[in-house]
Amino acid sequence: MNVPSNTNSADGLQVGASGYSYTEWADAGFYPPGTPARKMLSLYAREFSVTELNYTWYQMPKAAAVERMMISAPPGFGFSAKLTRTMTHEIDPGAWRGQVNRFRQGIAPLLQANRLRAVLIQLPPSFDRNRNQRIYLAQLLDTLNGLPLAIEFRHRSWVNERVFSELINRRITLVTVDVPDLPYLFPTVDRVTSPDLFYIRFHGRNARGWRSGNMQNQFDYDYTPAELEQWSQTIIPRMASQARSGLVFFNNHVRAQAPRNAKLLIQQLQNTR
Amino acid sequence: MERSIIHLNIADFAVAVERRLDRRLAQRPLIIAPEGAVRATVYDMSEEAYQAGIRKGMALRRAVRLCRDALILPPQPARYEQAMGELLRQALPYSPLIEPGQRDGHLFVDVTGTSRLFGPPADIALRLRRQARKELDLAPIWTLAANKLVAKVASRLVKPLGEFIVSPGEEETFLSLLPIELIPGFEKTELTRLLELNLTRVNHVTGLGPEHLEVVLGNRAGPLSAVLRGEDTSPVLPFGKRPPRVTASHTFGTDSNTLAVIEGVLYELVEQVCKDLRNRQRAAQQVSVCVDYSDGRRRVRQVRVQPPTANDLALFPFARKTLHLAWNRRVRLRHLELVCDRLVHPPTQIPIFEHERRPFMRREKLVSAMDKIRDRFGRHAIEVGRRLTK
Repeated sequence: MNVPSNTNSADGLQVGASGYSYTEWADAGFYPPGTPARKMLSLYAREFSVTELNYTWYQMPKAAAVERMMISAPPGFGFSAKLTRTMTHEIDPGAWRGQVNRFRQGIAPLLQANRLRAVLIQLPPSFDRNRNQRIYLAQLLDTLNGLPLAIEFRHRSWVNERVFSELINRRITLVTVDVPDLPYLFPTVDRVTSPDLFYIRFHGRNARGWRSGNMQNQFDYDYTPAELEQWSQTIIPRMASQARSGLVFFNNHVRAQAPRNAKLLIQQLQNTR
Repeated sequence: MERSIIHLNIADFAVAVERRLDRRLAQRPLIIAPEGAVRATVYDMSEEAYQAGIRKGMALRRAVRLCRDALILPPQPARYEQAMGELLRQALPYSPLIEPGQRDGHLFVDVTGTSRLFGPPADIALRLRRQARKELDLAPIWTLAANKLVAKVASRLVKPLGEFIVSPGEEETFLSLLPIELIPGFEKTELTRLLELNLTRVNHVTGLGPEHLEVVLGNRAGPLSAVLRGEDTSPVLPFGKRPPRVTASHTFGTDSNTLAVIEGVLYELVEQVCKDLRNRQRAAQQVSVCVDYSDGRRRVRQVRVQPPTANDLALFPFARKTLHLAWNRRVRLRHLELVCDRLVHPPTQIPIFEHERRPFMRREKLVSAMDKIRDRFGRHAIEVGRRLTK
């Protein structure tokens, strides 16, 4: 089983957190008190071999800044870059193709240095499966062709065999999510749609906070060892047997629960081995 | 502690407010200017008008020649004030440290240390933008940086739409390749001097040693060098709290460009603010003069006062110097405002050397004597000759 190693290798399974630059992680004890933001990545990289770049969702990545960021991480440290919101949440029909070009330019240093593990396309809950959205998504995937794509749906209407078949045809990874059990949310689907990569995101199971509009409530959840064992003993090994590599990220960043849970999962995976 | 400062900036604010009220104005070149005035100037303009070459402060007549199909609307300061208030109210739940601009669609919000409550600063910024779009129909640019200076420069880069995050510690690198004109704080003459020397980018200037920089920028080399490195420790002031300042202003009954008259009025303003300063037992470290011309154009200049003073005779030369920096057109003045800020306790040290001490003591005694006379017999019981030219 090509699983539980927390190595820097591009192959195998890598576990990390969604983002690393949180000042509250210093208060929570993950970083030493008063750690400046510029030192967080190097400290984070002592514990994990991969991270999700979520700032690239807020603003278009810029190649020069990405290059400078890479210097802070050790060689082989991997990045998953989240697609900018102007291509997922705030789509301008006349401008998104230009945005894709800019995004490609922005992440080019990661690609060139072989540090880009995935490009995460996270679609909003409002992005349901209708004709226009399907056409847009197909065009977007065509335009992003050549990048290691992973797609996360939030709307339940995308749970459809034709969607999964198309992802398999295109060798695009369907992101498996752990989310609160809410009727409208895309549920946990552990289908491996690409032999190259499987991708799991733990968002926490805070049903009450999910629709609060405040990330601090939405992602405030601490997984119990028992909850993670379901994943480390059954789901992850099964998915890992179908793909060459895997990425697992914890997005429950509040009070540094994400890195704490990520470490716990790594420990469990190592024990499973 | 590293700070997280959000800068919201609604490009072409006056136009955005007008378009919010009348959707037919969308996409159409728009100029905001007092049309009836003889030599009216452009107060604000839409992006379409900007692309046609129109700039703020440009003579309206010229602006109309450049963009003949532009619609001209009069400025409505009350509307802009109201829109600013609405924007401000949306930001208030996130931080008490909010510094709004003056009816210009600019807002600084210091969200340092709030992430445990509201999430990452970038998320707060995005939420503020979404709220402004949804509830106010305004689309601000948002930027995030560790200080106000860098946040402001970043917003200039993405105008009229967009966002920019400058990570803490990246300030100097971020600024280094930018054109020098984008950096706030430079006088026009300083910019001209730098451009004459072919120093067009920030890194051209920061690459010079302090001694070379001093040749180019004089005694402003130090502070400007800090600005170019992205250093700015100025706080975002709590909403409603401005730094203490003393002001006095005068509106001319008949617009004037007679030097003696204007300097006479300026002296009167100096007397008023100095009296106020003395009553508060404060001295000013900075003096600003704001002139409003007949054609509606406004210009503000400021000068550092060293040593700090609250003495009329000592402050007046600084005020006069500031006036002449601000009043550089052959156009009559309608309004004059004098502002003294950066207030400190008056220096207790009397000049040591005789040649400095004697005039200092004479000034102090003279002003003190005049204060006594005025306190007893009224404000106009005694006047300096300069004021009699009115």
